Amino acid sequence: MITINKAVVTAAAPRQRTLPLQTLVDRDGATKSALVIILEEILAAGVQEIGVVIAPGDQAAYADAAGDYAGRLTFIEQAEPRGYGHALWQAREFVGTEPFLHLVSDHLYVSATEKGCARQLVETARETACAISAVQATRESQIGLYGTIGGRPVPGFTNRYDIECVQEKPTPTLAEQTLAVPGMRAGHYLCLFGMHVLTPLIMTLLEEEWAKTAAGQNLQLSPALSQLAAREQYLAVLMQGHRYNIGLKYGLFMAQWALALCGADRETILADLVELLATRPG
Amino acid sequence: MPLDLIQCITADEHDLRNQSIDALCQAATGAELLAETERLDQFWRRSDNLYARVRALFFLYAIHRFHLPHRPEQVAGRGRTPYVGYRHLLARRFEEAIDHFRHAARQDGLSDNLASALATAYHLLAFQTLANQVRRSVRSVAGNQWMFRVGHPSDHPLRLRPELRQTGPDQTYPLLHETTPVRMDLSHSAWSDIFFLGMDYPEGARVLNVSIDLGVRGRDQAPRPPVEAYLRVIDEPVLRLTSIDLGTTADVQHLHEVFDFARDYLGLLKAAVIAAGLVPPGLEGGEQPLRDVLEKLVGSGQGLELVSQVNDIPKGSRLAVSTNLLAALIAVAMRATGQTASLTGPLSESERRLVAARAILGEWLAGSGGGWQDSGGVWPGIKLIQGERAQPGDPEYGISRGCLLPRHTWLGHDAVSPAVRDRLQQSLVLVHGGMAQNVGPILEMVTEKYLLRTEPEWTGRQRAIDLLDTILTHLQQGDIRALGEATTANFYGPIQTIIPWAHTAYTESLIQAMQQAFHTDFWGFWMLGGMSGGGMGFMVDPARQTAAKDFLQQTMTRLKGELQHALPFAMDPVVYDFAINENGTHATLHSGRDALFPPAYYAMMVPRWLRMDPRTLTRTRRAELRYIGDISTRRTDFKGLVNQLFERMLPDRGAADDRQESLRELMHRVGFDPEQQEAIRRDLRSGLLGLAQNRLPATTVIEDVEPTDVIDCRQPAAAALAECGSQALRNGEVAVITLAAGTGSRWTQGAGVVKALHPFCSLQGRHCSFIETHLAKSRRQARAAGTAIPHIFTTSYLTHDPIAAHLARVENHGYDGPLYLSPGRSVGVRMIPMMRDLRFLWEETAHQQLDEQAEKMRASVQAALLNWAQESGEGRDYTDNTPLQCLHPVGHWYEPANLLRNGVLRALLQARPQCKWLLLHNIDTVGADLDPALLGQHITSGAALSFEVIARRIEDLGGGLARVNGRPRIVEGLALPREDIEFRLSFYNSMTTWIDLDQWLALFGLTRDQLDDEATVSAAIRQLGATIPSYITIKDVKKRWGHGHEDVFPVSQYEKLWSDMTALPEANCRFLVVPRPRGQQLKDQAQLDGWLRDGSAAWVEERCDFND
Repeated sequence: MITINKAVVTAAAPRQRTLPLQTLVDRDGATKSALVIILEEILAAGVQEIGVVIAPGDQAAYADAAGDYAGRLTFIEQAEPRGYGHALWQAREFVGTEPFLHLVSDHLYVSATEKGCARQLVETARETACAISAVQATRESQIGLYGTIGGRPVPGFTNRYDIECVQEKPTPTLAEQTLAVPGMRAGHYLCLFGMHVLTPLIMTLLEEEWAKTAAGQNLQLSPALSQLAAREQYLAVLMQGHRYNIGLKYGLFMAQWALALCGADRETILADLVELLATRPG
Repeated sequence: MPLDLIQCITADEHDLRNQSIDALCQAATGAELLAETERLDQFWRRSDNLYARVRALFFLYAIHRFHLPHRPEQVAGRGRTPYVGYRHLLARRFEEAIDHFRHAARQDGLSDNLASALATAYHLLAFQTLANQVRRSVRSVAGNQWMFRVGHPSDHPLRLRPELRQTGPDQTYPLLHETTPVRMDLSHSAWSDIFFLGMDYPEGARVLNVSIDLGVRGRDQAPRPPVEAYLRVIDEPVLRLTSIDLGTTADVQHLHEVFDFARDYLGLLKAAVIAAGLVPPGLEGGEQPLRDVLEKLVGSGQGLELVSQVNDIPKGSRLAVSTNLLAALIAVAMRATGQTASLTGPLSESERRLVAARAILGEWLAGSGGGWQDSGGVWPGIKLIQGERAQPGDPEYGISRGCLLPRHTWLGHDAVSPAVRDRLQQSLVLVHGGMAQNVGPILEMVTEKYLLRTEPEWTGRQRAIDLLDTILTHLQQGDIRALGEATTANFYGPIQTIIPWAHTAYTESLIQAMQQAFHTDFWGFWMLGGMSGGGMGFMVDPARQTAAKDFLQQTMTRLKGELQHALPFAMDPVVYDFAINENGTHATLHSGRDALFPPAYYAMMVPRWLRMDPRTLTRTRRAELRYIGDISTRRTDFKGLVNQLFERMLPDRGAADDRQESLRELMHRVGFDPEQQEAIRRDLRSGLLGLAQNRLPATTVIEDVEPTDVIDCRQPAAAALAECGSQALRNGEVAVITLAAGTGSRWTQGAGVVKALHPFCSLQGRHCSFIETHLAKSRRQARAAGTAIPHIFTTSYLTHDPIAAHLARVENHGYDGPLYLSPGRSVGVRMIPMMRDLRFLWEETAHQQLDEQAEKMRASVQAALLNWAQESGEGRDYTDNTPLQCLHPVGHWYEPANLLRNGVLRALLQARPQCKWLLLHNIDTVGADLDPALLGQHITSGAALSFEVIARRIEDLGGGLARVNGRPRIVEGLALPREDIEFRLSFYNSMTTWIDLDQWLALFGLTRDQLDDEATVSAAIRQLGATIPSYITIKDVKKRWGHGHEDVFPVSQYEKLWSDMTALPEANCRFLVVPRPRGQQLKDQAQLDGWLRDGSAAWVEERCDFND
């Protein structure tokens, strides 16, 4: 059994840093920033200490967007944008020697069960006592947007996998050769959900990768995750829920629909949608 | 021991599994063979193992084709094939065809005809089964599968790498450039790289494959990777495809155009676009605009330009240029879309394998096909490529013994030292002999013989496997002389044992010339692949390499001059310079002023751009034009560009004018009749003549002949008949006429060679032409009769001069008797076909349906040809070719008639007034001879004309002997009102005719005395000719261009046929049924192997005397 007390949210990427500051209506009908929805996902998983990796100068905006939760947050600056892995590595002092929950800031999650997605993941991690990433079955036409794992099912479980490798945004050509997972539908792969429980070894691996990274190049997370799979047990769990990438075209719009349709305003929204369809201009 | 062929198929033991089916069947009785066909038929139907099924099917084919026909106690000599089964065969429903044929055999007994139908059906089904499995394997290669699932542009998962989408300060896009060597096979693999072999016999599938750079000697400064592919983004939402070598470019705007391979010369580029996943194969048939695909792939309003160049390396080089070009195009596109780890530099091993697999897919899509070693240029240097046993997890496991893709073992400098590589390069002279031939039939023959384990070929294959080890050892030891001896031993041993047709008279002459000129300094001959005559290698003492290059260039040019009418040369021979390429395929990224295509690209494209409104030029194109202006005076490779541009923009009309002039001269010289041509054209355009009008009225009653309508001469004749014939021969009363006016459209697919001179086969250890074979038969009969026999070859404008020159050169092949050439006096100009005739030919007449992809290709070609006919003007004279290819002989009816007009018969009768009998036969009826018994039969029957017919087999198409409205006659296939009628006819016309000279003259209304009266003779021919129908036919004609490239066009011509003499009520005709080896006509080179194996060649050999 492991204890997970800390979470790290990365929000420093140049083209994504404003995404969590956007406002949506959550399942409860309240208007919130995307950042707050993410923070509430983390808190619902029982994790209280949250570090947010941001670009220099963004702290005020993020504190403002966090509202009542601002006081709980530790802001960690990434001095220069050198990639996703580099951003996470900035939180090494914050996480210290403990396993931690990690979420990206450009994804929102809608669980298919009573439990939030982060909570499902954290509970599984406590049970398995190892690093574990949430994954979602994704059609091959979309895998170029996500990190994708290759692995094998864990005997006795229908939703857990032993990760063997992780590829960042692969083409289907590469995926068919190295990332096919037994039991998956043809043309479907297990893509990262943007939500992980990682052990402190990841920071060591990122440090090693960083040492090999040439000037001007970025440090990605996927190679370090692949290394992690080689060094210790690293599992994936198929989430009962969906992720919505608010950085994509219509991503925020789709996320809003998903939240609304599984929340308190479902009936109202459906009625409005029907009316819109019936009277749409053109 | 009872015959058990199934054991041969299922046994694991090497000795049982690899038994020769021929040996087993020869020892069996006819009844045992029939019983075994039942067991095998049940076996293949229930077997779920691919190769068990295929071997059973090949066994069934072989028994029906080669063994049962020799068991007359089991197989009737006369029978019919059910037409419905034939229709199934044409529609590729082979299993249904087999069911119908077997049902007919059960009902009526097995006949020779039905056995041939069953053999054909089993053969086709076996190859279809194999081809389907290769296709399934190609699709199931990991990394290829997703492309078949993408069904909509929205699903397209690939994106162009950002490096290629970023413009520089000058607004131009970077250019990705892939260079790829070609490959040569140092071992000649005995065709073991055929997919079917590698997948069944991976242990025996091994080749020594070398990646090489090339240059044409005297043209290029130094060898370089001959294959180049370029890719860049353009500011237009189109796919711009350009082949520099073929001078073709197209802006593809619709999805369906991408899959239309024969629409232009860009089929290979389109196949690469699809196989690389730019436009995945799953999108075929989609209605979405290509712009949507490009938007996902590149960006809104943007497109891609893909350019290929093979630096004018000629087609047919046997260096797998086209496969490596396909691989280069696929590699550049895969790099651009992130399907490889690196954008530039070499590829990793797994990436090379994937590119090779995609190249196989591309070849399948484009309807072509090579071996699995052909994409060897993707790999660097020297490598041993071997078949690989399928293991659990492989898609082939449990289906075939071997994997689709082989394993490449790179031989580094530790295995073959740099010094040895240098020695190899200094010793070897690579050439392209100039011949380009279709090797498809050879690959089928190899597969068939392997699966049947025919004794000599199987032994040969084992020997080839041993020789590869020998070659490898000599290479590693650096003993190039011994290596040359081994490749020569391979050529004269296993290769020719497996496929005798791989050797040609041209190659043999070259080898002999090298031996005579270089003696012990000539170390060996090396056949590059496919068949000889194209790409070949000669190993010499390095000190003599330069001299050998000069000698080979001169000798090949001389021999081509001597043999160009006999063999299908596609181009002038060339000698290459070459160097081993140690990089494999390799890419570089260029930007700014360096992002330029080769000068030849701009020579082709700039004139088009300059003709455009300058305001419509894109910013990229403007920048490019500025750069070209700047560097055309500074970069050496661009220095000749300005001159080329002027030549392109102001082309010299001289060549076209010369061709027209030369055609007119030729027409005048050979007696062209413009009035007749205009009359035919008028009737053709008005619809009075045409393919549909060739047919007899639908009310015509056409039935099979009665037994009394024929005289069966297949059994030994009465001695009296033979004596009667022998007496006539002894008396000098007989002459032979061989019809040699044709060029054998089917024989060389319209290449326009003189069929009579084609050295078609090795008989009694020598390459023999048809003409030499016929003279050898006449010589034998003359010697038996103790008198000289006159032999006449009828010729045409196409064949007369080459045959005359040949006979002079070889001194009539030592023929003792009088030898006459009878020059043709009638000629027509080929015409652009009417579209209705093309449609009739392709849509109304039955034809063999091809496999799915090849059928698409054919449909695409036919659409393009219909367009060509319309644009060129239906019914106009066809003049866009060499003059000889624009004219046509007007049918063999005129050939004997010309004897009357050109004085040859008169001369013959002056020399031999006792001559009474003529034997007339086609040039390709190689078994026809002056058989005394048949001659005696003809004499005693009192007939004017005795036509020889043979029992029909399924492949004998084109009419036959029939009762037409109650009267026996020969009816041509194109005159039959319905195609199914032919399947009711038991006998096929061999064209061989015994002629009573005086009765024949009487049909013209002539006597011997009147042959001096030219006007009377001409009028008589015209009068009789008017009663003979003129048929419109469509023939394929090749147009050659560029470096070994050929296009085939269908053209209309008209002809009168000899067999219609049987329709004359006043002609006293008889019909003699003769043995098949005597009446068999060789129309297609693919027939040769079966002709050799079924004993027909030996039958002919026995009747020849080559005067050795």
